[in-house]
Order: sequence, then C-alpha cells, then structure tokens
Amino acid sequence: MTASAPIALTLHLALLSSISFGGFPTVLPDVHNFVVATHGWMTDQEFANLFAIAQAIPGPNMILMMSFIGWQVWGFPGAVVSAVATFGPPCAIYFVAYRLWHRFRNAPWQRIVRGGLVPVTIGLVIASGTVMARAADADWRAAALTVAAAALMLVTRLNPLWMLFAGGALGGLGFL
Amino acid sequence: MRAGVSQTDESRKPAEHVSLGALFVAFLKVSLYGIGGGGGLVWAHRIAVDQQRWITEEDFADIVSLCQFMPGPNIVGIAVCIGTRLRGGIGALAAAGGFLIIPGAIGFAVGMLYLQHARHPVIQNILGGLAATGAGLMIATGIRLLMPHRRRPAALLFAALAFGLMAFGKLPLLVILFGLVPLGIAVAAIENARVR
Repeated sequence: MTASAPIALTLHLALLSSISFGGFPTVLPDVHNFVVATHGWMTDQEFANLFAIAQAIPGPNMILMMSFIGWQVWGFPGAVVSAVATFGPPCAIYFVAYRLWHRFRNAPWQRIVRGGLVPVTIGLVIASGTVMARAADADWRAAALTVAAAALMLVTRLNPLWMLFAGGALGGLGFL
Repeated sequence: MRAGVSQTDESRKPAEHVSLGALFVAFLKVSLYGIGGGGGLVWAHRIAVDQQRWITEEDFADIVSLCQFMPGPNIVGIAVCIGTRLRGGIGALAAAGGFLIIPGAIGFAVGMLYLQHARHPVIQNILGGLAATGAGLMIATGIRLLMPHRRRPAALLFAALAFGLMAFGKLPLLVILFGLVPLGIAVAAIENARVR
C-alpha cells in the first residue's frame, strides 16, 4: 500500500458521492472496482463482508460502509474522512440546489431531465444488486437466497429486516 | 406594541421558531427508526408533516422529488432541505447532524464488533447470508422503482443499458452517466414534444 492510498481513496469517494444520482447504491460497483480490482486494498470476500455488515447495522448504512472501507485502508482517520467524503459533497449540493429549486419548480425542462436521468439511475441500482450478488453468492444456495429475498421483497410487504434476519440465521446455522 | 410586531412575524414565517435542538432530535429519530429498506422516507414524512406540521404535504413531495434528482443519499438530502427551509444553513447542519452523528457512531461501533470477529466461521456464515439477502433486496428495490416506468419503452431501454454497462461492461460510472444521461434526456425531450 502506498502513502498516497488515503488521498486516492478520499478523492475517489468525494467524486463518486458528487455523481451518485439515485443514492450511493448506484456507485457501489465503481467502489468495488476501485478498491478490489484497481488497488487491491481488499479481497472480494472482504468487500462482501463490509456490504453484509452494512445491512445489519443501524444508521446511515452506505455511509458507514464507505467508512469501513476507509478503516481497512488507513485506520480510524480513514473511517472519518471517508464518511465525510461520502456525505459532505452531496449535502453541499443539496443545500445550494434547494435554494435554487423554487425558482425553477414548474419549469418543463425539469420533467424532461428527470425522465432522462431516472431510468439510468434505476438501471444502476439493479446493477449494484447484481454486482453484490456475484461477490456474495459463492454457490447455488446463496444465489437461491438472493433470488428468494428479491422475490419476497417484490410480492410481499414483509419488513426487509425479517428477511435479513432470516438470511443471517440460515448462514449462521450452516445452510449456505 | 412589540408583542404585536413579533406576532405578525410569527404568522408570516412560523418556521423561525423551530429550535435547532428539535430539528436535531427529529432527524435522529428518522435515522434510528428507518433502519433497513428506505423506511427513513416514511418516518421523515410522519415526523415533519404529520406530527410537527413543519412543512406541508406539497412541500414534502417537492423536496422528495428534488432529492431524487440530485446525487447522494436522498434521505440525508431531505434532512438538509427541511433544515434549510426552517432555519437556513444552520438548520441544515442541525438536521443532517441529527441524522448522521449519533446513528453513525452507533453503527460504526457495531460494525467494528462484527469486523473484529469476521474470521470466525459462524460470523462468516452469518455475513454470507446477510450479503446474499441484501443483494436480493437491492435488486428488488431497483425493480420496484422501475415499475412506474414500465409503459415507457425508452425508460426501460435506458435502464437496461445502464444495468448492462455497469454489471457486465464494468465501465466507470462517470462514463456511463455522461454517455447515457444526455441521450436519455434527448429522448425524453422528443417524447415530450410528441405528447404536445
């Protein structure tokens, strides 16, 4: 690991958070590429672990996941700086945008921009789930769990926390 | 005399009187109640619109659509916008701080506990189950978001392109966004012109 790793990670997270239309899940595959494939700061397995932990904790979980990645790369300062790089730029953008928003609230171009942007971000959310599934699903049983969770989420109004609890329990009992 | 002046002020902008502490606590609650699966939006609505009556239903919908259309975690954006609306910049800091600081510290501590024991085989298995389930939930969330657009072939096409380029093409996000979004907006503008 080089001395510039903290800077590279911080800048990359700040850049990604500034373009994370649709929320942080849309940039997850890019983060995965950056920390696993490009820099080799952690393995696929470790990345999947951090994703799993982020599912099982209270609070702003995607920000925390980036915080854990920062921790893996350069310890506690990395955790704090990565969290700030993840929520700081979007908060500044929200603040400025909200002040401008009323001026343009009924403009027709806004509907057009939204119509072009939203489907792309939705595709990216589904891609994120797929990328995480490939990292997490070591065999057909884990893949079946992914499919079952997606199906239950689509056809029932069951609280996702119960599904996560069941998934963790199935894993813990050695069924995966 | 003075009382009369302050009363007219009050009726014009009652927002001035929301304390920073109240904003902090409200979004602390939103953050803690909304664990898992986008529940934060539900709680933000319940607290800011139904319980405290800080903003109207209309304003809330307006803020949600603005946030969907901006980068970053939407729910933090909702905190920033409501905070800005009620108390300006300092209100945004109070609301975002309430949302992030305490829940972040709790989540971080819990996460570190997991990480310490991540090599333990049972914990490893539990994490495997959680990651597989979480990936499924994320896919389903995306599919749900896509449902309202299912009658727009262009929307489905752009969603499919973004999905394919990211999941299988492994292109950087910036390339995908700058490649697809202008095209998508152009197509949406053409559709819009035809409807008229």
